[in-house]
Amino acid sequence: MTVAAGVGYALIALGPAFSLFTGVIAKKPFLVLTLLSSTLFWLISLIVISGIWRGFLPVKSGAWWPYVLLILTSVMFQEGIRLVFWRLYKKVEEMLDAFADRISKPRLSLTDKMLISLTGGLGHGLAHAVFFCLSLLTPAFGRATFYVERCSRMPFFLVSAIISLGFLLIHTFSMIIAFNGYGERKKSDQIFVPVVHLIAAVMTLINLAPGGCLIGTPLLCVMAAVTLQYSWRMVEQRLTEQQHRQFNS
Amino acid sequence: MDPAADSPAPAATSTASTILDTLGEEVLAVMSPVSICMALVVLLISILSPPSSPASPSAPPPVTAATLVYLESPSDSPGQKLVGALLDAAVFVALVAVVTFVLVALYYYRCTGFLKNYMRFSAFFVLFSMGGAIAITILRRLDVPLDAPTALLLLFNASAVGVLSVFASAVPILVRQGYMVTLAVIVAAWLSRLPEWTTWIMLVALAVYDLVAVLAPRGPLRMLVELASSRDDELPALIYESRPTVGPAERSSSYAPAMWSEEMQLPADSARSGVNQYERAGQQDNLGSAMVEMRDLGGSRSRVHQTTSSSGSMLQMGNLEAGQISNQGGSAQHAVIQIEQPEEEERAPLVSAASANSAVANEEHRQISSSDPPDEDFEMFESSKGIKLGLGDFVFYSVLVGRAAMYDLMTVYACYLAIIAGLGCTLILLSICRHALPALPISIMLGVVFYFLTRLLMEPFVVGASTNLVMF
Repeated sequence: MTVAAGVGYALIALGPAFSLFTGVIAKKPFLVLTLLSSTLFWLISLIVISGIWRGFLPVKSGAWWPYVLLILTSVMFQEGIRLVFWRLYKKVEEMLDAFADRISKPRLSLTDKMLISLTGGLGHGLAHAVFFCLSLLTPAFGRATFYVERCSRMPFFLVSAIISLGFLLIHTFSMIIAFNGYGERKKSDQIFVPVVHLIAAVMTLINLAPGGCLIGTPLLCVMAAVTLQYSWRMVEQRLTEQQHRQFNS
Repeated sequence: MDPAADSPAPAATSTASTILDTLGEEVLAVMSPVSICMALVVLLISILSPPSSPASPSAPPPVTAATLVYLESPSDSPGQKLVGALLDAAVFVALVAVVTFVLVALYYYRCTGFLKNYMRFSAFFVLFSMGGAIAITILRRLDVPLDAPTALLLLFNASAVGVLSVFASAVPILVRQGYMVTLAVIVAAWLSRLPEWTTWIMLVALAVYDLVAVLAPRGPLRMLVELASSRDDELPALIYESRPTVGPAERSSSYAPAMWSEEMQLPADSARSGVNQYERAGQQDNLGSAMVEMRDLGGSRSRVHQTTSSSGSMLQMGNLEAGQISNQGGSAQHAVIQIEQPEEEERAPLVSAASANSAVANEEHRQISSSDPPDEDFEMFESSKGIKLGLGDFVFYSVLVGRAAMYDLMTVYACYLAIIAGLGCTLILLSICRHALPALPISIMLGVVFYFLTRLLMEPFVVGASTNLVMF
């Protein structure tokens, strides 16, 4: 395992994010700024969580209930952070609309708003992938690989890359769903997001069991696919609705 | 959020561009070179450090002005290290202050020719000797064979072009920006070899000094800036100019040559037309200081090889000081103008009520336009619009990130985000109060805080969770 392996793992985790970035975000400077601030936001939330948990670490090996608590608190905290992020976004949106009025340009369209929420989600997912996977990947560029005791069939780097990919997709697209839910005040969307996040996080607990990563990782990918599908349906519906309205008016 | 308001928008959007397309272009034009610079420094450090980390007899911490008083050794107690690092930082900042005052004095007595040539010399020195040393190390590390004459020839040519591009007007802006970033990378790579404690204390001290020197009533940098603006003259200095950028390439690249030529035709001193561009663009920024800084570092290197004589270190200090100056002055006042510029564009055809916000921009606009023919007006405005950042800011941001890279990648990402956030805050402040602001303090403080938070709090948590494959 050498540089090729390291690059490969990095691409597994970040490939989709990279293509989203170059294809959609890099062309619009404002979206890049949104991406940066969203990443920073997630980093701050992670630092706060780890600050709270710092006193209880390291967890004794063999005990699994601390991890359950950790997952529960972290997911709850992050969903709270998402609400704060939404508030901030609303403020920015008002400012942008006022600015657009002043220079007599069109206000933000529906697709613009969706782009912003996509970017915000990608920022969260990117930060997740960077801190949980990419920063541990440096040894993979060397001459060996690494197995965790509980998961002896797959290299650790591969597992963490796949998990990061799953969470990247979940974070990215659940942000679209959540923003849409908040904007339209749709309860089902608002509940869907934390539930998916929680289920996905709980699924990583399966990895604690010996050999569990062979089950947990594919299940996580399924959750990512579900999120993708849900977000796709929702966006399609919104866009057709809007076309109709435009057509009628 | 009301749907009724939304619906008319998309129809217009399909043809007209939304504000998402252009908003933030100028900010990004500053942030992307800073990011590139930091990424290169991190890459350089990670290429150079791993194999030699256990036994690196060839690269002991360099004896520079920053380690005059105390040279850290791993066996010292934390208390010793702290006191030593504090002393180092105090001496360093004092030297920088002295050099800055010398520069101000030189500028006050109009020794601009000397300053400019000094700047050229230092750019050459940095590129040739320090850049050369780094290039040799890289070649060695990668086992690339290259004969000495070829290497020398290439290096000399690259340095010569670098010196030309820094001060001559005819060089494409992309080349100039590239050399600016290269200079910053080289200096930062040298500086990041300072011992750990000294680095941190020095960064904080520099940020504080930057704050004082730019904002205090008699701060040297502020005096320099005011002197330059009262003379309507420019300082030869190294400043990264964002305006004709890589980012908005289509527009700016076509503009760039025109702007340069116009500037050269301006009534400014004919002899200094090349420098004038810089001065004009960054009227109140201390352009020269970054260059000086670069030079200092180079000087310090060479001195290390000789045996650091005290005078040599003084010079180095002076150089560093200059760098600081550039940092402070680097953040130009043009951010406001940039932000308001869209308005300006819109209003020009409409001639409708000028908003109170843009009144300021208009004044600036008029000042510039008063000396120029009307049709050049817009372009001059455009040319004065770019955000300017001293090369010193590039250097010290990169030093911070480079120092973080010696610990872990996680701290690198955290510091990068913190620095960029600090830069963003500085730019926002810049658009509120319209004079030159120090770009170091907010970014450096945030960067240092995030480094230690990440290292002390986050890393054990994240590593503990992810090695158990528990994520959320």
